[in-house]
Amino acid sequence: MNGPLIVQSDKTLLLEVDHEQAADCRRAIAPFAELERAPEHIHTYRVTPLGLWNARAAGHDAEQVVDALVEYSRYPVPHALLVDIAETMDRYGRLTLSKHPAHGLVLTTTDRPVLEEVLKSKRIAPLVGARIDPDTVAVHPSERGQIKQTLLKLGWPAEDLAGYVDGEAHPIDLAEDGWALRPYQKQAVENFWHGGSGVVVLPCGAGKTLVGAGAMAQARSTTLILVTNTVSARQWKHELVKRTSLTEDEIGEYSGTRKEIRPVTIATYQVLTTRRKGVYPHLELFDSRDWGLIVYDEVHLLPAPVFKFTADLQARRRLGLTATLVREDGRESDVFSLIGPKRFDAPWKEIEAQGYIAPADCVEVRVNLTDSERLAYATAEAEEKYRFCATTDTKRKVTEAIVRRFAGQQILVIGQYIDQLDELGEHLGAPVIKGETSNAQREKLFESFRQGEISVLVVSKVANFSIDLPEATVAIQVSGTFGSRQEEAQRLGRVLRPKADGHQAHFYSVVARDTLDQDFAAHRQRFLAEQGYAYRIMDADEVLADGG
Amino acid sequence: MSTEEKSAAPRSLAEALRVRDDVSLAALLRSRPDLITPVPTDLTQLATRAGTRASVVRALERLDRFALQTAEALAVAPDPASYGELLALMGGDEEDPAVAAALPRAVALLREQALVWGADDRLRLVRTARELLAPSPQHPSPTGLGPSVREATAGMSPGRIQEILGAVGLPSTHDSVSAVSALGALFADRRRMAALLAELPEESREVLARLVWGPPYGQVTHDPAPHLRALLDRGLLLPTAPGTVVLPREVALHLRAGRAHRAPEPVPPPVEAAATHRPQVVDATAAGQALAALATVEELLKEWDEGGPAVLRAGGLSVRDLKRTAVALDVPEPVAAFWVELAYGAGLIASDGEADERYAATPAYDEWRELPPAERWAHLAGTWLTATRTPGVVGGRDAKDRTLSALGPNLDRSAAPEVRHRVLALLAGLPEGASPVEASVLARLRWERPLRGPQREQRETGTGDARDDDLRSRIARWTLSEAELLGVTGRGALAAPGRALIGAPEAPRPAAETEPRGPGDKLPVHHHRTPPAATAPTPAERAAATATAARLLAPLFPEPLDHVLLQADLTAVAPGPLERELADVLGVLADVESKGGATVYRFTPGSVRRALDAGQSAADLHAFLARHSRTPVPQPLTYLIDDVARRHGRLRVGAASAYVRCDDDATLDEILADKRAAALGLRRLAPTVLAAQADPAALLEGLRAIGFAPAAESAAGDVLIARADSRRTPPRAAPEPVPDGPPAPDDTLLAAAIRAVRAGDLASTTPRKPSPGGGEGDGGSGAPGGSLPRTGAAETLATMQAAVLTGEALWIGYVNAEGAASQRVIAPIRVEGGFVTAYDHTADEVRTYPLHRITGVAELADDAG
Repeated sequence: MNGPLIVQSDKTLLLEVDHEQAADCRRAIAPFAELERAPEHIHTYRVTPLGLWNARAAGHDAEQVVDALVEYSRYPVPHALLVDIAETMDRYGRLTLSKHPAHGLVLTTTDRPVLEEVLKSKRIAPLVGARIDPDTVAVHPSERGQIKQTLLKLGWPAEDLAGYVDGEAHPIDLAEDGWALRPYQKQAVENFWHGGSGVVVLPCGAGKTLVGAGAMAQARSTTLILVTNTVSARQWKHELVKRTSLTEDEIGEYSGTRKEIRPVTIATYQVLTTRRKGVYPHLELFDSRDWGLIVYDEVHLLPAPVFKFTADLQARRRLGLTATLVREDGRESDVFSLIGPKRFDAPWKEIEAQGYIAPADCVEVRVNLTDSERLAYATAEAEEKYRFCATTDTKRKVTEAIVRRFAGQQILVIGQYIDQLDELGEHLGAPVIKGETSNAQREKLFESFRQGEISVLVVSKVANFSIDLPEATVAIQVSGTFGSRQEEAQRLGRVLRPKADGHQAHFYSVVARDTLDQDFAAHRQRFLAEQGYAYRIMDADEVLADGG
Repeated sequence: MSTEEKSAAPRSLAEALRVRDDVSLAALLRSRPDLITPVPTDLTQLATRAGTRASVVRALERLDRFALQTAEALAVAPDPASYGELLALMGGDEEDPAVAAALPRAVALLREQALVWGADDRLRLVRTARELLAPSPQHPSPTGLGPSVREATAGMSPGRIQEILGAVGLPSTHDSVSAVSALGALFADRRRMAALLAELPEESREVLARLVWGPPYGQVTHDPAPHLRALLDRGLLLPTAPGTVVLPREVALHLRAGRAHRAPEPVPPPVEAAATHRPQVVDATAAGQALAALATVEELLKEWDEGGPAVLRAGGLSVRDLKRTAVALDVPEPVAAFWVELAYGAGLIASDGEADERYAATPAYDEWRELPPAERWAHLAGTWLTATRTPGVVGGRDAKDRTLSALGPNLDRSAAPEVRHRVLALLAGLPEGASPVEASVLARLRWERPLRGPQREQRETGTGDARDDDLRSRIARWTLSEAELLGVTGRGALAAPGRALIGAPEAPRPAAETEPRGPGDKLPVHHHRTPPAATAPTPAERAAATATAARLLAPLFPEPLDHVLLQADLTAVAPGPLERELADVLGVLADVESKGGATVYRFTPGSVRRALDAGQSAADLHAFLARHSRTPVPQPLTYLIDDVARRHGRLRVGAASAYVRCDDDATLDEILADKRAAALGLRRLAPTVLAAQADPAALLEGLRAIGFAPAAESAAGDVLIARADSRRTPPRAAPEPVPDGPPAPDDTLLAAAIRAVRAGDLASTTPRKPSPGGGEGDGGSGAPGGSLPRTGAAETLATMQAAVLTGEALWIGYVNAEGAASQRVIAPIRVEGGFVTAYDHTADEVRTYPLHRITGVAELADDAG
């Protein structure tokens, strides 16, 4: 009894990372426990019903789970917890969705009372058809996603054995000339393919696009890729042309400006969720080809209507990509039930240790409001408070000092409020990219930033996702979308691409002391802190003294 | 041991008791302690008391299933019955070796309990027990048997009986009594009866088959179908009321091949093992859970430290407070109720008894906290084992449909300690490390106390859920889950400290040994055989057991740690139990986020501020963290502490009763300088403001006395002083368990009681030798026509009871409420509750007399009757 694992009564598992058995233990618990926090000494995993069911889906049984816990646990594992695990895992597979030769999609059970129980639910009733025999009930094929989602919520997850359609074949190969998939990317593709559908979680800058490309090369079929915006769509296209055997002509863009449907089509969430007269006119995209694979980029941003469409696509392979499965709307479980369970997850620090993402120095700079600002802040309307403290003048001075300090390096200044950004751009003599900047202009500015022609770029939240700025080494965040954890992670991701000379990246977050800004910052940083990114906290005076 | 007299068979229970030796009397009194509260004066009184309904019911309830089945069989057997007749009823025509093996034990047990007396050829069930167990239309017997032919034909016309005799081919006789006995003999004769039944049509036999295992009553129409008519004609069904018929006992017994019970259960069902774990794993798991139990109780008390929830007017904790507690402890509500009740039962919390009544920790809690962990646990576990309060019923409703609240009234269930002890003892009977199948434990408990269990119907094979719902089964189930929560068991199996707690031997005994004992009229000693409650340990034994448990537990607890791991995400992880001092400080400085083997703490601005409020300085905190961290303190944590400390105390809050305000600083200087103002407790807060401790009226008064002319300002905030001390109740005793009936007497008391009874018995029997013995228990003296009869109270009662049976008239001396003595001749009808109801021949009406006013009793001379 001197294992690396401590099993807590709230079903969290504490793993002591410096323990000699830590690596073995991590492997043993990874199939069923979610990594929740990964700071320096003790990593926290959580055992959830979803995780246990995913483990069952992946072929693990309760005995293995219990063995893993008992084997590595430092203290005796509470009996109640073991019983609970066994009972929870036992709920999986009582119901199965499968193809019946005569009746199409059917829900069958090995335990009749369970079927009776779920059929009594008001939410299940509209999804099922005729009772075929006491243990079998027909399910409308279009409700496959819906019924899985609902059963999961009822606590009786169905095992989906109905399989996938292959889709229209289309040859796709990786063009590994002078590069190769990294080991973890290979592993992610393999896990995804083995599991059929699911989500791959990788840090920003760790090459999620290549995981998508790898999956496409496995599927070798027509692929629909859903991305957040047009810039991101172009980058996917660029990357696919560069990394695979696909040519420009084989890849279509389906966005506000272009409506191309090709063997590989990249569509934006925005165009899909455009609604006219109560209908979604672009929905037929999903049916326009016999897609063999659907890739959801930044799955944590998947808009609600897309969930609904996805429910209808359960027969097609689905790959979700994200850096943070944290959804501020708490719909993580919908992602799991509709796209699939998490198939691969790597702690940020582990990838960093392997050298695939740059080490980062995260600093929170606290600025003091002036006395008059404090008074104004205290009397501001509730809804104006955050804006007020986030755009305080002092931040500008601190930002300038940081920019001065890193003069010559590629610096991004990121913020939420256009006025603030315009003002900063003016003072720093740097171009500003915001919502109204045209795509052509954006790409031009990005390109010159990439070439090093300009070294400071001020961007609004339009640049939050999927823009590739290879040589940004310093990011300065002056304001953000309230307490959004995933935004913070995305922004840090801007500077994590490995640097040519291997030097450290810097991430500065400028925060107004003793205000809402500070509270939100604490919340925003939580995800990264749990990933092991410790924020140093500095006073603005120190920064100003350094820079001055 | 045997001093019995072979010369004459005992003629009454009292006589049977008289020949028993002291050891066997002690066994009786130990298992039926209600018989010696108060100590009876002599054996006659003891026998009378042993025959009272309340005492017999209590004794029957303590019988195991087989002994009860035996008693039930005796109730339907002839009175007296021989051992052979009883064996035939229990085992049936084809003998059952298991029954034959177990029956001597059951008979011996019934004899020991004074429920059966008499030699083996004349076994008699005490009359009250017979009344309770024999079938009657109101109370169907558990055997499912109906009345005997004699009983069922009691009101029947002689002509009808003759018809029946004719139908079954018996010679007719005009004497109804011999006719009925001839019919009974025919029904009891297997061979002739088989022939009689063979004549019947198939449908008739089906009707009999439906009634054979009871209930034996059936409905017939005015004009019965031919196959029913055939049965009625032959007396195989006898009418009991218009439209109702009954299957006579003899017929049913024939159809059952002589068996009184469909399924005699001579052997207790074994407790089955569900799984076996290594004993080390069991002990370690239990120890882990024991530690968690201590942590939970301490957390609960900490939660309530500064004044707990309010006491409901009806007593107890409101549902909302229980919910809140459950959330705070992060457990389901029933489990929260368990912890709260445990702390209450252990005397750690109580109501503070103030006007605004609230729960708070008792002074005993502070003492308990100082004990070593293993002893703290032993105190809780010992309390739990003997408590009659059952947290399991919390949330349910009482008979008046009021919700039972935690800590509230009506939670005592007297069976709880015995069931808990018994469940653990059953676990102790399993091999080491084995966890039981819950259903088998429940089945065993039901076997041991069938009458306390669910009403046993003939549905043993039916779905079993409903019948597990009786109180004893529920308590047993709660016991299993609570034992796990407390760490008495680990992974379902009894751990070593738990075993010590119930004083169980180290090596498990084989579960179902049967003691071979002859059916002779010996009076066996049944010390370890009697139901376990009767041998409940004395307080001293219990204290020794808990001390042993604590000693066994102590080495199983992990060593407390003196360090934590600090992390940059502002958490601290204590990878094991912490030293108390460290845990206390850390508990203030950080919020607990996760509990278990380890503890995860999170530092927040709020928690750091709490530490600063508690008097720590930022430097103290830095030093504390540096001292207890194995790794450098992360910069964000250092910064957090400094940042909170920077703002801490910038605003100051205090209490003042009144203030003095003046635009002129000099006036205030003047007041402060004045010695007469000292009593007002003035302090300068700002150049133009003084705060005062005196109240506004006194302040005004004081200032006027000095010579100022102050004006009162409108009431603008009199500050209330909030108390933030730890609340403690005045010293409070923990609630005493409320046992069912008197406590089990110890050997000294028993010996004394027996000596007293014997002495009294001698006194009451010796001088009466010359008088001719009347009926049972009658030693009546005095004669009609003389002075008032005088007899002892016990003898009066016994004579009365005998007279109720025989229907004889008695001559009594009676003193009425005015003190006037009289003599009356009465025929007692009923004796109960200290009153005798009788037909008074003197007054020619039914009257009720208090027994204590009857000076004595004598039987009437034959000529007087």
